[in-house]
Amino acid sequence: MPVAEPYSLGQQVEIANIAGALKKLWSEGEGVKTRASLINLAVYSEKPGSLERNTQLISRIAESHACRALVIGVNRESKENRVETWVNAHCRLTRAGSKQICTEQISFLLEGPCVKLLPSIVFSHLDSDLPLYLWWQDDFPEAMDPQLWAWVDRLIFDSQGWTNFATQMRLVETAEQEAKQRIVLCDLNWTRLDKVRYAIAQFFDHPASHHHFAEMESVTVNFAPGFKSTAILLVGWLAAQLNWKTNQQEMNGSCRFLDANNQKIDIELREKPGAPIGDVVLKSQSVKFCVAPAKCGDLLEVSRSGENEAAKPQMMPAQTNDPVDLMTQELLRGGPHHVFLRAVNCVRQLLSPRSASGD
Amino acid sequence: MNRAGEQTEVNPLREGLSTRAVPQPCSVVIFGATGDLTHRKLMPALYNLGADGELPPAVTVIGFARRPKTDDDFRKEMEDAVKKFSRQTVRDEIWKNFAQSIFYHQSDFSDEAGFKSLAQRLEKIDKERGTRGNRLFYFAVGPDQFEPILKHLKGAGLNKEAEGSWARVIIEKPFGSDLKSARELNRVISNSFSEEQTYRIDHFLGKETAQNILVLRFANAIFEPLWNTRYIDHLQITAAETLGVEGRAGYYEGAGALRDMVQNHLLQLLCLVAMEAPSDLRADSIRDEKVKVVRCLRRMTQEEVATNVVRAQYTDGAINGKPVPAYRKEEKVDPKSMTDTFVALKLNVDNWRWWDVPIYMRVGKRLPKSATEISVHFKKAPMVLFSKETNEANVLVIRIQPDEGISLRMEAKMPGTSFRIEPVKMDFHYGTSFGKASPEAYERLLLDAMSGDATLFARRDEVEEAWAFIDIIENAWSAKKKTPELYLYPAGSWGPEQADELLARDGRSWRRL
Repeated sequence: MPVAEPYSLGQQVEIANIAGALKKLWSEGEGVKTRASLINLAVYSEKPGSLERNTQLISRIAESHACRALVIGVNRESKENRVETWVNAHCRLTRAGSKQICTEQISFLLEGPCVKLLPSIVFSHLDSDLPLYLWWQDDFPEAMDPQLWAWVDRLIFDSQGWTNFATQMRLVETAEQEAKQRIVLCDLNWTRLDKVRYAIAQFFDHPASHHHFAEMESVTVNFAPGFKSTAILLVGWLAAQLNWKTNQQEMNGSCRFLDANNQKIDIELREKPGAPIGDVVLKSQSVKFCVAPAKCGDLLEVSRSGENEAAKPQMMPAQTNDPVDLMTQELLRGGPHHVFLRAVNCVRQLLSPRSASGD
Repeated sequence: MNRAGEQTEVNPLREGLSTRAVPQPCSVVIFGATGDLTHRKLMPALYNLGADGELPPAVTVIGFARRPKTDDDFRKEMEDAVKKFSRQTVRDEIWKNFAQSIFYHQSDFSDEAGFKSLAQRLEKIDKERGTRGNRLFYFAVGPDQFEPILKHLKGAGLNKEAEGSWARVIIEKPFGSDLKSARELNRVISNSFSEEQTYRIDHFLGKETAQNILVLRFANAIFEPLWNTRYIDHLQITAAETLGVEGRAGYYEGAGALRDMVQNHLLQLLCLVAMEAPSDLRADSIRDEKVKVVRCLRRMTQEEVATNVVRAQYTDGAINGKPVPAYRKEEKVDPKSMTDTFVALKLNVDNWRWWDVPIYMRVGKRLPKSATEISVHFKKAPMVLFSKETNEANVLVIRIQPDEGISLRMEAKMPGTSFRIEPVKMDFHYGTSFGKASPEAYERLLLDAMSGDATLFARRDEVEEAWAFIDIIENAWSAKKKTPELYLYPAGSWGPEQADELLARDGRSWRRL
């Protein structure tokens, strides 16, 4: 079986011959190769060169998530119809090293008015019975085909790159409603916060530390340029989980919440080069809880300190900003994302109309 | 299997981050800290948990052993062990940090003063590191050491749980060598720790596939309706290993395959396969159902033991083309040893579900390959339409190790104009479908113990019921009259022919592995 280089789209085939080409791909195989698939993973992008870039991403994602990948590159601007398709396979050795496990990829380039055919193209090449995960890499257009949502099980996107958070979130939620709430919304910007959320949450695992929730005075979050939306989502999560109500909407990086006892919690968001989320400091009346990227880059240093308590930093894993890592992590997670949706609601309340872009 | 819902005060920031109960900060005291288990399993497991961010930062490890050494000596020793045995590469930044949480406490297990000073040290650690009075005592020592350690832990007040904190003890097998000694051991443990504080570890239950048995059975509607005497012909459970005694002759000589493997691992697997659906996933709900299975195991007479149990011992042979010596020629083994290195059994679970469904088990050392699996052999379909010669039964196989997964054998028509039927296999491999490596069993079990989830640990009554069943066989083997024979099998074979006959006389055969 000819196994394509990671960057190559593989063998070009007529769209009507995809099934036959895939069959041939496997029948020509030599040695022990197993086709594996747990999900249909469709990746959609309108950015030039996305097919090659996404092929590279899929080859890495497939190392830990066997899937049928449908990589779709779209050019709406073209006036002429053009549909081109390729098939290839990404193989890896099993941990035992005895045989190769392969994920198959079908790539589509759609140009011109035929982009409307997207749902029919996707639907006709799904691995039956397996869930469909759609990774949408661009802003969502206003007019979306409701048919598409009827088939999607998990919609993956990254709100960090959105031009307008409120508008985009409305479109995503419309899609979710059209699918009768069946779609699980998966924001990679939320996944980006996983490790920081772990690091913050662990401070409060013991019930003896819960009194600090009621004594919280301020939260400071440093974020890298372009990641203000990530920082706001983090603050939205804290507010949603700790029942803080918006008192002052976000303005120039500052905002304020009120807790259940109407005590103020001041929030400071500061742009600073470095990791997407840099230092995070939560101050209660008596203790300062810090989460900061460690010097080595892929670890977090966590510590708590107070008047009678010296800081004893500990290391915890940090989140990388690599899209493959984010996707791999997201694909490992099952179930709905209720906590994310609550955080999004808080973000909505937090963003003043002026700063609705979240950036 | 998680107790998150049982916690009185839940951390709201944990919601959605973890579906399991969160481990609490604690001091983990390992008795036998310089031993093989600590080097190979415990410390690598603790490091991996720390590196993955699963351990609360305050968790502190105290190695307790006789040999004099400093904290730094012990840390260096553990660093070498973790580098050698960890499933992930050891990173200096993480190790440096993790090493700060490791301490060494030198004392003899019989020295009361050593335990008093341990208590003082733990109190200091509580204050300095925020372990909040929570203590997990891990007994990585032989059972002969249990009693003095337990006695002195109690003497030093370390068995007591202060308000809002806990003290737990993890006991490694063997949990006794017969019912009497198991009861005595449980009595000794219960003098110092309550049953709720006691965690009897069976690492088989920490394996992903063992836990998946409940999911397979109770989360899939297609299997459970067939999971009974009406549709199942018989069950087979095999635990085969190519290894010999590997330096464990001192223990193994007194134990043998029946005590070493069947009493715990294999009966635990049988319980998971044969139990009724629990009312919920709480530890005791699951263990209540498991113990019922052991209670329903049909007790055998001495004659029935001779008929239904085959014991054997390996002689000279070869594994993977390499000659290996007979068991009796192994170091520290009695040249006239009568220890069983292979056991095959035919069991019956006398309840409604399993009436008249024989369960065949085999376990052995120096077998041709290492594999642990459960196979469910369904009854044959009525062959009214097709040739009787081609009629194979459906078999569902749950592979515990290696190559964890599930496969289903079914009949299919061969391509062609004639009507030929051949068995085909639908196969699910964990390693193929999920690229992510499963955590080591000890990692899962240590986390469970730290979070107070005893689901995957054996309860006192399970252990005692299992011994009550095993004792009947052991007693028959040691009887002076009509003693069942100890057969011999060459290393590298699948056991003595009598093991094959055990099934052949019922018109069945062992599944080929």
